[in-house]
Amino acid sequence: MAHSNPTSRAERTARAAELRERQRRRERRQRALVVGVTAGVVVALVAAVTGVLVLTREERAAERAALEAPVDGVQTFEDLGRDHTTGSVEYAETPPVGGDHSPAWWNCGVYAEPVVDENAVHSLEHGAVWITYDPALPAEQVDQLAAAAAPYDYTLLSPYEGLPSPVVLSAWGVQLPLQDAADERVAPFLAQYVQGDQTPEPGAACTGGVS
Amino acid sequence: MAGAAAAAALLLVLGVLLGTHWGSSRDVPAAGSVDAGFALDMQAHHRQAVEMSTLVLDRTDDEAVRTLARDIQLTQQQQTGQMYAWLEQWGLGQGRTEPVMAWMADAGEHAGHEMGMDMADVPEGRLGSVADMPGMATVEQMDALRGADGELAERVFLQLMATHHVAGVEMAEVAAERAEDPDVRHLAQAMAQGQEAEIAVLEDLLAERGGPVAEL
Repeated sequence: MAHSNPTSRAERTARAAELRERQRRRERRQRALVVGVTAGVVVALVAAVTGVLVLTREERAAERAALEAPVDGVQTFEDLGRDHTTGSVEYAETPPVGGDHSPAWWNCGVYAEPVVDENAVHSLEHGAVWITYDPALPAEQVDQLAAAAAPYDYTLLSPYEGLPSPVVLSAWGVQLPLQDAADERVAPFLAQYVQGDQTPEPGAACTGGVS
Repeated sequence: MAGAAAAAALLLVLGVLLGTHWGSSRDVPAAGSVDAGFALDMQAHHRQAVEMSTLVLDRTDDEAVRTLARDIQLTQQQQTGQMYAWLEQWGLGQGRTEPVMAWMADAGEHAGHEMGMDMADVPEGRLGSVADMPGMATVEQMDALRGADGELAERVFLQLMATHHVAGVEMAEVAAERAEDPDVRHLAQAMAQGQEAEIAVLEDLLAERGGPVAEL
């Protein structure tokens, strides 16, 4: 038989309520902890991915900007003849950057021997960049020039006697003399002048000529 | 609370995506896009096909081979002009800011090395080498074509062009699938189909002429 004791019942009820409340608080704390940790991990992951994306993007953008930035030291030449002639031509620049030229263009590619000015000038008219180097340039630097030319099929690479500097890059109407093949301006010059805006005959070929 | 955190994270991701993919570009393909990479690399790829076709036209009187060579020469020269013009219209020009074939780098089995890239003897620079593109004939193979005549020239041409086309089809298929510009996808699809059909013709003509040249 139940001894009905109002005091102890009230105590028991209060105690039960307190236990329930404590349980509820514990659950709330745990839930808050789980939510907090989860949110923290998500935010950290997003921040990490964002950081990598932004860094990669900035690196790429910086590389691209370096290739697209104006190239220091580029000389420009105007009023260049464009007539075809089978004779030899006296060019003002060494190597020539334009002028009258042979009806046949020199095929783009890598040459170990000097090529013919009158033919190479025709290749410049078609958008080629002509990379010339002093025959005494160390082989390692010649390799560097070949590697710089390799991303393009509109380049001529050849030794040239009597250059004003060890390496000279030429496109139609523009020229850049360099002391060293490792010069950082080689890649931007190529990126901007291979079939660049200065090309008198965009779309014309650099194969099917002579070599 | 979790909802708020997820919403914040989502907004952050959206913001980054907008920043990298929208904010930085105009409404035309940007440098580094599949479209730009394809337009630049496929031009160089096509130009070698045009060169091979031009060479064989000067070296044989065989009408079947000459007709096919003329077809490839004129078609690919015209397509090269389309790709050239896209790059000019997109304000990118013909210069390189991305390595050769980088636009196909994550295309799984299509990627260059799985396609048996032909490493030339040119040292590798930061921007790569057009000679290393899949399907490109080597300097020696081009010299073999230059030095050949008559039926030998036909066989060298047919053999090199079949290899060239197989790689061309793979490149075009990736662009047809991944390029953002519908005109690029359309032309790439047409290239893939056209060259696929030509591969069969190249192989038939080669078989009729004694098959591949062993020493090539």
